[in-house]
Amino acid sequence: MNVLVTGASSPIGEQVVQRLLRDSRVAHILAVADKGVPFSIPENPRITLTEIKFKSQRQLHTLLFGLALKKSVQVVIHTSQAESANREGDSVHAHNVESLRALVKFSERHPTIRRLVIRSSGAVYQVQRDLPALISEDHPLNMAAGAPQWVRDRVEADFTACARMGLSTLQVVVLRMAEILASGCGSQMYDYLDSSLCLRPIGFDPMLNFLSLEDAAQAFQHATHTSEQGVFNIPGADTLPLTEVISLWGRPSVAMPEPGIYWMYKVRQHLRGGQFRYGMNRRRFHYPGILDGRRAMDVLRYVPSQSVSWPELKE
Amino acid sequence: MLSPERMAKLAHRLLSPEMKDRLHNFHFEDAGHGYDAFGMHPSAIHLGIGLFSWIYESYFRVISKGADKIPAHGSAILAANHSGNLPIDAMMLWNDVLRQTHPPRVARGIADHFVPALPFIGTLFSRGGMVGGSAGNVRSLLNQGELLMIFPEGVPGIIKPWEQRYQLQTFRVGHAQMAIQHGCPIVPVGIIGAEEQLPSLFSSKRLGKIFGIEAVPIPLVPVPLPVRYRIYYGEPIPVQERYNPSQADDPLILKEVAEEVKAAVHVLIQKGLSDRTGVFQ
Repeated sequence: MNVLVTGASSPIGEQVVQRLLRDSRVAHILAVADKGVPFSIPENPRITLTEIKFKSQRQLHTLLFGLALKKSVQVVIHTSQAESANREGDSVHAHNVESLRALVKFSERHPTIRRLVIRSSGAVYQVQRDLPALISEDHPLNMAAGAPQWVRDRVEADFTACARMGLSTLQVVVLRMAEILASGCGSQMYDYLDSSLCLRPIGFDPMLNFLSLEDAAQAFQHATHTSEQGVFNIPGADTLPLTEVISLWGRPSVAMPEPGIYWMYKVRQHLRGGQFRYGMNRRRFHYPGILDGRRAMDVLRYVPSQSVSWPELKE
Repeated sequence: MLSPERMAKLAHRLLSPEMKDRLHNFHFEDAGHGYDAFGMHPSAIHLGIGLFSWIYESYFRVISKGADKIPAHGSAILAANHSGNLPIDAMMLWNDVLRQTHPPRVARGIADHFVPALPFIGTLFSRGGMVGGSAGNVRSLLNQGELLMIFPEGVPGIIKPWEQRYQLQTFRVGHAQMAIQHGCPIVPVGIIGAEEQLPSLFSSKRLGKIFGIEAVPIPLVPVPLPVRYRIYYGEPIPVQERYNPSQADDPLILKEVAEEVKAAVHVLIQKGLSDRTGVFQ
């Protein structure tokens, strides 16, 4: 089997490529990086490295019907996303949504591609007090009018992929992943924990779930080899309350009333330019929202096994 | 909130050696860091039992009858009457189930939507096993083989005025639907005493609006009265033997089962009322 991996120079893409390299069922990997992001994958005869601008549909078309056709790619793993919550606008939308729309369209009429595995996010789900704490795949999506582009793009990309399921011979798999607590993965919590002091809402300590890069790669690998299609939640091995997250990251925390936290992080973002936005995470800081991975376990045989690398546990 | 380590230390000081032994092995699905996916933590359970010991044994002097009817394993639903203006009846039932079942089981309370949104209280209750009352949460718990504690009357039951004491309000049908869908029995529970613990002056609709509920009762006394609690468990209603899961969408069947549960709870209440010789005895 030959596999094309997009976003191959990102931490998650790199992890996927390395995992597929250890998989004897995968003959060749076409690793595609976002233009301008250097590769850190060592050279290997089973890997072909290339780079394109994902927001350019022409470049994507040339890749799929050029190199990918020549290599007889059967499965495409799409991990490329604009990760930063601070970047907004048409260019970001073109990367996150329009490139995916084009990828699905091109893959459907591609002579060798038969399966498309897409990275989505648990951030597409709505979290609120009267919704289940354990989130299944049919949970309401976050369609809030005031949601930032970072969220809206992810919901739209997810919809775009879901809308094509079963309409052609292309098998589409959408993996809604729990937050990957690592640098370069678009993790809001990673940036939150980067502060020397973490502020949290007084009186609330919601349950959170995190995915390690290794488990994310494992989920992509399982999704590559099954013949099922559909939407799957991919939870991680770490389910714990917010206070425990802060403590395991080795940070002190202060509980304070909500308006104070909002403004403090607004000022922090203004001064330091961090990714974390309290407004975007407000509900997650009050109510639990844990991805229910039973479907992924039953169908994809995915079981989270690798914990996040918690600094305090390392010591 | 106290950390699990501090809760464990405090519980260690409060619990008797026998109770520590008893609580050692209750059913608990660790989601990875000592908590279950809904936030329950064993140390919080131990601390809860430790803190409520005196209230359960000496203040409300709970008399428990028929706890052996609670299934020892697998999913089941406890359906009880609700009263008393504050959910002390839920706390006493939670304590009673942990104390009377072999092996000890945690009754997972299903709370109204506004409870998880309450600062401190929502977190405290979730550490003790309570979950917000959504169908998805109930489904997940039953799939895990948990014992649920449901008050089918909901808020109208707990805030009803003094003159309506021991008159059951309309039973919602959610518990019946979940029991049929998941093939688990419903154990009726009658709680006697809670109705008289905290008589109310009146109910404030304005305060109720703040919490997103019908009304908030304003109590006549500052602390609950030391009434005698009686908790009576009835024979499990084997809905799983009578109905198949496809019948869980039939409104008539759901109504019928809910009425049967209500009648069973009514019988237990009448039995409890006839057994007692006074509110405080």
